Amino acid sequence: MYSVLLWLALVLYFVGIVLTAPSVIRRRPSLPSAALAALGAGLALHASSLIARAIDLHRLPVIDVQSALSFFAFLVTLAFFLAYLRYRINVLGIFMLPLVFVLTLFSALRPGPTFQSTAFRSGWLMVHISCIMLGYVGFFLTFIAAVMFLVQESQLKSKNPRQTYYWLPSLEVCDQLYFRSLKFGLPFLTIGILTGFVWAARTWHGAWELDPKILAALITWLIYLFLFSVRLSGTWPGRASAYVAILGFAAIMVTFVGISFVSGWHGYLPRLGGAP
Amino acid sequence: MNLALVGINHRTAPVEIRERMSIPESRLQEAVADLVRREGIEEGLILSTCNRVEVAANARDGVAPIPIIRNFLADHHQCNLALYENHFYQHRQQGAVEHLFRVASSLDSMIVGEPQILGQLKQAYTSARQAGALNGALNEISLQALAVARKVRRNTAIGESAVSVSYAAVELARKIFGDLTGKTILVLGAGKMSEIAARNLIRSGAGAILVANRTYERAVELAEAFHGTAIRIEQMLDHVEKADIVICSTAAPHYVIHRHHAERWLAARKNRPMFFVDISVPRNVDPAVNELDNAFVYDIDDLGQVVESNKKQREREAIWAEEIIQQEVQKAMRRLASREVVPTIVALEQRLEAIRENEVERYRGRLGDLTPQQREAIDALTHGILNKILHGPITELKSGVGRPEQSSLVSLVRKMFGVSE
Repeated sequence: MYSVLLWLALVLYFVGIVLTAPSVIRRRPSLPSAALAALGAGLALHASSLIARAIDLHRLPVIDVQSALSFFAFLVTLAFFLAYLRYRINVLGIFMLPLVFVLTLFSALRPGPTFQSTAFRSGWLMVHISCIMLGYVGFFLTFIAAVMFLVQESQLKSKNPRQTYYWLPSLEVCDQLYFRSLKFGLPFLTIGILTGFVWAARTWHGAWELDPKILAALITWLIYLFLFSVRLSGTWPGRASAYVAILGFAAIMVTFVGISFVSGWHGYLPRLGGAP
Repeated sequence: MNLALVGINHRTAPVEIRERMSIPESRLQEAVADLVRREGIEEGLILSTCNRVEVAANARDGVAPIPIIRNFLADHHQCNLALYENHFYQHRQQGAVEHLFRVASSLDSMIVGEPQILGQLKQAYTSARQAGALNGALNEISLQALAVARKVRRNTAIGESAVSVSYAAVELARKIFGDLTGKTILVLGAGKMSEIAARNLIRSGAGAILVANRTYERAVELAEAFHGTAIRIEQMLDHVEKADIVICSTAAPHYVIHRHHAERWLAARKNRPMFFVDISVPRNVDPAVNELDNAFVYDIDDLGQVVESNKKQREREAIWAEEIIQQEVQKAMRRLASREVVPTIVALEQRLEAIRENEVERYRGRLGDLTPQQREAIDALTHGILNKILHGPITELKSGVGRPEQSSLVSLVRKMFGVSE
């Protein structure tokens, strides 16, 4: 059942993307209602799919790589919707929706082997995973806002505007989106890391603190904490902060994807026996 | 429909000929009334702006409207139109519709996407309506032209992006600061150019304004005009850090604002962006200031470059607009063609129904007393025969909509079934 719902959501996401692209290229003031309707319906079906899976499993559906990515894709789509409703930036669709599509497609193709660990019954772990994902979604938006800022700033500096100058929002809006998503992501990442510590201390034995993924997560957290403090104090200009935001997202990629395949405790591959 | 359009514009005629041919707004109604009084002309529309004079007319079938329009122009301006032969263009039927749609959508304007033409066309339409010169196909086309122009504006960015230097500064300020509400402007040098730039920024929502000028009295005068604050030129450098937008237009033959100044201000502003609009020649802001993060310096040439880029953008948008117009022209032509066919179909049905009723009535006496069921059966029978006869001609008429042979098909059907014009 959840698989059918996910495929339907995927089809609607595809329709949404197809309808969004021309409105960006043609610089329409807002997305066509058909695009928003398709994406909204896709989001509802995606939510239904996750709920169906959760009922089936009696826990948050993040027990394999595909379902975890599906959950993440859902959160990214939701973030797009909220950010679009607040800022009306069409071009966000071009940045965010292709990722949503790829992740959802990957999730829909075939369910992966599940993590059999009993640890997944722990509420701490569910809070840990949910918060980390919400944090990542926030930082994904921070990353996009930083990229938009850098591109728009270089257009303004060059004094020879190209197509992107017309598509992208003002530096001020990029900065607002950047700071708000940062303020959203940081507390979730913090809670996620703390609950992860609690859960690990209760479950694992041995020197789990030295796990590469935990170390990488701490470095990521420090990068974002630094970013937050320089943005708040205004000590660094926008361009330098934007580079740090991009570095932070690269750190997330390494933490989320790269190290998952080598970390003993956190291996995303079930044969490594770990948890996400 | 027998539509024609004759006109001149900024591309086909120099300004002295456009002046000669123009019809002032105050005389538009009278002129269009004169046009439709001419033999064979049923409707008329005259659009006269500084860049164009367009006369459109819808004539009775069989009448050649172009010579009538030309005579009208010659009479109205009391000139020999042959002298201006090469400057006039003319369009018929679909070509005229397309031309009107393009003009209304500002694709035929000197500055593509300029919004004034829509208002001018509305004025032309109102004058023609008031003169009783629009009541048929041309009326419909004119209304559609206004609707198409709105659609083009809604669905493309043809009217966005500034195409004048002073508006380019506003647009750039918006690209940096987003909403200009509450932003502070500092005007350095209270000349005419800086006044225009400041006025545009204030119209766009900018808040407080500070004015510094070599002559303090002039600074006070300009500051009062904008409800701002005048500052003495020697104190100017102490105030710049308060300003988000600095408009420089002094007569100083050297840089007034240097990189080290801007570095100090940006630090004091906690790196909030600053936009320097340097419209003075020679320049007053060191271009090296632009190298600093969060400082943006645009001189008069830079603004000109943005304007050029914006014009190219509008031209790109015009490609989408042309697509919309082509679709709308096709739709309009189909609607107009069906407008001509529908009365024939209705007349045909009425004519045959009248024959049927007459014949049934004529035979009623011979058939004697009929039961209600028998009467119903006769009605059903005769209706059935009629419908079968009508099916062929009606299908042919409908399928002929929009085709070149439509008019001859309509007259053939009318002749065959004895339906009057």
